[in-house]
Amino acid sequence: MGGWGPLAEPALWGFLAGGLWLTVQVAAVAGALSLVGGVLLALARLSPRRVLSLPAGVYVEIMRALPVFLIILYTFLAAPRLGISLDPVPAAIVALTLYTSAVLAEIVRAGIHSLPRGQADAARALGLSYRQSLRFVILPQALRLMTPAMISQLITLTKDTSLASVIGVNELARRAGIIYNTYFNPVETLLVVGAIYFALCSSLSGLSRRLEPRDAAATAVSIGEEDQVRVARG
Amino acid sequence: MATDYFGRAVVENWPLLLEGYAMTAVVSLLAMLLSLVLGTAIAGLRTSSVRPLRWLAAGYVECFRNTPLLIQLYFYFFGLTRLGLRLTAFQAGVAALAIYTAAYVAEVVRSGILSVDRGQRDAARALGLSYLQTQRFVVLPQALRTVLPPLGNLGIALIKNSALVSSIALADLLYVSDLIQSRTFRTFEVFTAVVVLYLSLTLPLALLVSRLERRLVVRR
Repeated sequence: MGGWGPLAEPALWGFLAGGLWLTVQVAAVAGALSLVGGVLLALARLSPRRVLSLPAGVYVEIMRALPVFLIILYTFLAAPRLGISLDPVPAAIVALTLYTSAVLAEIVRAGIHSLPRGQADAARALGLSYRQSLRFVILPQALRLMTPAMISQLITLTKDTSLASVIGVNELARRAGIIYNTYFNPVETLLVVGAIYFALCSSLSGLSRRLEPRDAAATAVSIGEEDQVRVARG
Repeated sequence: MATDYFGRAVVENWPLLLEGYAMTAVVSLLAMLLSLVLGTAIAGLRTSSVRPLRWLAAGYVECFRNTPLLIQLYFYFFGLTRLGLRLTAFQAGVAALAIYTAAYVAEVVRSGILSVDRGQRDAARALGLSYLQTQRFVVLPQALRTVLPPLGNLGIALIKNSALVSSIALADLLYVSDLIQSRTFRTFEVFTAVVVLYLSLTLPLALLVSRLERRLVVRR
């Protein structure tokens, strides 16, 4: 038993493909929700009203300072105690969204801050309201600068979905465990599954490289939680 | 029997929580030191003039950054055992965290090295300094200022990532908190305590980083 043999079986490929599909679904749903949450949190934090900016700031700072694994585990453990029954998949999506929105909010905020102040002033001077200047002047420019940082955070999110295996989400990492506990081939299985994750994540980072701002004067904002190198161009 | 109150589960299990806290701190610190050494070495290879060395270092960075830390951790703990190299949970945890973080350290240090103007290097070589001397006395001291804030952020990420070692039953902060909450069913009390304890490790570092960032920005 063991070795590469079992991994050549088409049935196992189907099994792993199912896990990959769930990984992609969890990452995509949590990613989409986090993008919305992140923009809203950033706007709340930049708002002149303290009732909005203070709670948003506290939430973002605390959430970013906690391990995502802790959030996943305790979302799953605490929900039933609050009388909400959450299956592992929704619990993982909720937890990953709670966490990733906070990180994205910080990226959005940095993107908005990196624009020259003149942009906001000019928009207001032209008679645009605060909301209009955000919608038509600030956000379109800021989002373009933030794209690489956002994608690298989405890569981190994709890798973080593997933690959902611990609360029983039957995604790629958990299926790897099931395979090597059956065939006693952890080395081979983890290499294969690692390669699948690699293909997934590196295609995302290829996308990020293609989308980097081209204009020479632009400063790409890059403050994902792990990739926080600020790349100055021009 | 003592009367019941909110926080009792935490108070009564305080020594265990502290042990977990110490484990998280030790694992993170050790892994950070190792990743600094390893990451700087890889950054050296990535900026070297020998092409295969550059490829090797780039391959390292790509492989370890694009796969989940959990998979890497399982590989060292379950995989290497199978190959006859038996690591304890502590060794596997520190190794996984250090090797994974080193890939990010390498990128940070590389961007620091690249931020030092080429003329500096040329001048140093022209003055007769060897490659290593140039790196040691001219490039690295200047690069250090650029890389300190991102390295601080990597330290924070590392402390947070260290929670993964609980999945191979190393008794870190997250692991003991789970143990206590499953024994006492006082999930919220334990959660509050564990959040405060993690914040006590990460927030001071975050504060330090934002201070450093502001100082560096002003100077430029």
